[in-house]
Amino acid sequence: MANTVHRRAFCLLASAICLAGAPVFETPALAQDNSIRLGIVAPMSGPNARYGAFSLRGAQLAAKDINAAGGIDGRKIQIFSADSQGTPVEGVSATRRLIDQDKVDFLIGDVSSSVTLAMQPVVEDAGVLLINAASSNPKITYAAGVGGFKWSFRNYPTDENRALIVAQYAAEKRGFTKFAVLSVDSDYGRSAIDFTKKYLPRFNGQILTEDYYKEGEVDFRSVLAKIRDSGAQAIIMYGLADTTPIVARQMTEVGLAGKVPLIGNGEFNTEKTIKSAPKALEGAVEAAAWLPAWDSPKSKGFVTRFTAEYREAPNNHAYVHWETVNLLGKAVEAAKSADRAKVRDALAKIKYDSAVGEVTFDDHNQAKLPMILLQIEDGKPVVKGAYSADIDYPR
Amino acid sequence: MSLNESSLPLPGRDLRLPFGLAVVVLACCAPLLLGNYALHAVIISLIFLLPAHGLNLLVGYTGLLSLAQAAFFGVGAYVSALMAVHWGTPFYVNLFGAGLVAGALALPLGIPALRLRSTSFVMCTLGFVIIGQAVAKNWISLTRGDMGLSAIPKPYFALGPASFTVSGTVGFYYLVLAIAALATFAVWLIVTSPAGRNMVAIRENETLAESVGVPTWRYKLIVFMISAAFAGLGGSVYAHYLTVVSPLTFQMSNSTLMLIIVLGGGPGTISGVVFGSLLFVGLSEALRIAPELRMVAYGFCLLALVFWFPKGFAPLITRFWTMLRGRS
Amino acid sequence: MLFQISEQVVNGIVTGAVYALVAVGMTMIFGVLRAINFAHGEYYMVGTFGAWVAIEYFDLPYPVAIVAGVIATAFVALVIGQFVMRRMVGAPAEAGVLATLGIALILQNTVILLFGGGYKFFEGGYIEPVTILGVSLAEQRLLIIAVAVLVFFGLELLVTYSRMGKAMRAVSQNVECCAVVGIDVRKVVVRTFVLGAALAGLSGVLTAPVNVSVYGGMGELITFKTLPIIIMGGLGNVRGTFFAAMILGIAESLVATYVGLQFRDTVGFATLMLVLMWRPHGLFSAQARY
Repeated sequence: MANTVHRRAFCLLASAICLAGAPVFETPALAQDNSIRLGIVAPMSGPNARYGAFSLRGAQLAAKDINAAGGIDGRKIQIFSADSQGTPVEGVSATRRLIDQDKVDFLIGDVSSSVTLAMQPVVEDAGVLLINAASSNPKITYAAGVGGFKWSFRNYPTDENRALIVAQYAAEKRGFTKFAVLSVDSDYGRSAIDFTKKYLPRFNGQILTEDYYKEGEVDFRSVLAKIRDSGAQAIIMYGLADTTPIVARQMTEVGLAGKVPLIGNGEFNTEKTIKSAPKALEGAVEAAAWLPAWDSPKSKGFVTRFTAEYREAPNNHAYVHWETVNLLGKAVEAAKSADRAKVRDALAKIKYDSAVGEVTFDDHNQAKLPMILLQIEDGKPVVKGAYSADIDYPR
Repeated sequence: MSLNESSLPLPGRDLRLPFGLAVVVLACCAPLLLGNYALHAVIISLIFLLPAHGLNLLVGYTGLLSLAQAAFFGVGAYVSALMAVHWGTPFYVNLFGAGLVAGALALPLGIPALRLRSTSFVMCTLGFVIIGQAVAKNWISLTRGDMGLSAIPKPYFALGPASFTVSGTVGFYYLVLAIAALATFAVWLIVTSPAGRNMVAIRENETLAESVGVPTWRYKLIVFMISAAFAGLGGSVYAHYLTVVSPLTFQMSNSTLMLIIVLGGGPGTISGVVFGSLLFVGLSEALRIAPELRMVAYGFCLLALVFWFPKGFAPLITRFWTMLRGRS
Repeated sequence: MLFQISEQVVNGIVTGAVYALVAVGMTMIFGVLRAINFAHGEYYMVGTFGAWVAIEYFDLPYPVAIVAGVIATAFVALVIGQFVMRRMVGAPAEAGVLATLGIALILQNTVILLFGGGYKFFEGGYIEPVTILGVSLAEQRLLIIAVAVLVFFGLELLVTYSRMGKAMRAVSQNVECCAVVGIDVRKVVVRTFVLGAALAGLSGVLTAPVNVSVYGGMGELITFKTLPIIIMGGLGNVRGTFFAAMILGIAESLVATYVGLQFRDTVGFATLMLVLMWRPHGLFSAQARY
């Protein structure tokens, strides 16, 4: 190989490296401006983009109101967002970008459990405080606090709790014993079903068919026909908001609507979802961390404020992110400093009044929160109560 | 192409030594010059350099257009991740294992695929990526499906009683730099050997090459395996760097990106591919262009490359460079 | 049991009809250009977005939205045809692969940049179920089957009797000879391309009400489904493509029911690999083009 080639190589390499180096000198403003730098990792594109948009809006609303009131001891909250696309790989890159490039001290994220599980080791390494606000897989806090990760907290109830109360309600109040499973193939969908299987024998329930769908699936008729022919009384679905209308519509098509209800979680309660297939969603049972119909002054205040700001009713993800930014604000106030370690210690001891009750963290950095059970009656979600259960940490 | 040009006499002074030294010094001092994020961009582009080198052997030197590179990249990533998570083996063992498995897997896949011509071969190689993704998504007990494998340990080396772990962006940069430099050297050895000349003969005219005694079938198969092994190495480093792998490692856009690096940099040249990965991966990552905008730009690059710059963008820049020098 | 299978077969036929409408354009383009169009699914996506925009932004009724979607697709295809496809006449196969890959990237990501990466809800269409012989189907699905049958019947007539069809057949036989006898090869290529893309767009608009969600990445999925179909159908063979699409649709439906939903999307490419290895010219003869 010869001289021209080599020389060309060197020219090119040198120029390319100079080019690549150019942006370095314009790195963003330094982090010394006394603001609280908060990163939000959420799916802004892909099948879960709706969740991400709500999450970011909720967080931004909280930050806006806190800043308008003068900040926390004069410190303003500055929000940086990054797109996880709902996939672990992109989530980790987004986290790295926020930590390395935007120099955030605090992180809230992600919605998807699989992404959060992948983010945990990264934030632990960087010593950045992660408060998860919307992932429900129990493993996240099994491995946090005394379980290992010192920098991971979760302000969201877990699937362990959810699976139990859904199974209990379906069996005791509705009298179902035969179930079909149709859940999303992810850490969230699979672990919720694992816990359902753990609790179902207690209520003499059995699972007749079990299917998991990939995110982005649009044709459920074959599976729904199979469920119809199996004689199941209810479909246990731990799914995603965007899939619920599709499943509900196709339930109408194969003749399941009005006969076999959906139970589990997947935003069954929003107006748009119910409107897409009212007959199929009638009688659906859902356990959620929060819903707009929840009756408490703080909750109502949030719904009014959010609707006024964005001309759209908030969902569960908007609420939990809004609440978590406020929680972080209180922790900073209690720590009297924006120092990561001090805020973390303050958070561990905090007593915070949320819209669904008092929040405290246990030794696994898991918030003690109730799950709200609701049922769709006459096209409207009706709250059937809030339940909390103790978490049984594996030894 | 480059091999033919190489015999031309050189105009002007021999600048190889000063430029070589400059590159080495620049590469070694990069962490001092670059911020953490720019360094991350360089790391990513050096990782993508590995599969691109492999693809260059296939496309640039042997003349086989393949989309399978992302499949072997994914295989490498998963092999390395599984070894690290389940067995806790040191990094160099994982790296070696990933390259070996990807290369070995290319044998049974390559035998039927290489019998096909032009478009059919391209489709078949695309099939490897799609089926690879399906396997990664559905073999839940091994790959955990869409949930991905996370918490892949940082690369650590264990030599006898001593062991050390590479951590931090700077440490990782030097590790990747060393691997990329070795890989570049390996490719250089291959293409300057008689075998490299035979590969070019196959690209230029396969029938003619066969008739003068080049065992074309065996050559194509071996090059396919070597390129897969390079992709596997890249996947291994990628998995350790990101600390997670998911089925989306197998996606056509990864294959397309590797193709753009090779075709854009200059197929059939080593320097071109290095330049291509720094330009298309490094620069776009460093400038934080929105991913969609980046993809649109890649699309236009592909069109431009097909219709106007079949030798890549590198010659364009060299011409510009010589023009500049001529003036001064 | 028999009833169940027949229901799944009907489901499969509906899916097959959707694939057939997309694949027929792809195979016709291969006929005249000898190039696989890796961007073909993107026209399906463009058509769907066209209709979605018509409904969401302009409040047009669904039948008008169908027309809007198809016209939007044909327009996009005309632009691409004039600037890119024309140049591909006589270019090597690899150039076609790369250029269409480039177009796929541009179309898909431009749409995401314009409308965002999230899933959109497609309102409109006829989704009330009707029951025929015990099988319950949305009206929309019957519409899809009817349109697919009509389109294939029309194409058959077009290719056999019309001047354009004859020119298409001639170009697929021998490009040089066409140039000699005065057929404008480039014009034929662009027309075939626009027709094929518009059919893909039509397929997208018709499917949108039953698939409900509309998003930028939906085209790539369809490209991957139709690639196996056109190979199995014998590249360039319209009738073969129709039957291959039906076979794949039914096979997918049966696999989803009796093997597992998660394996459905693998059926196509697994079959493709087997077909390529054992019968590289497809299940239907590639000789009987059109």
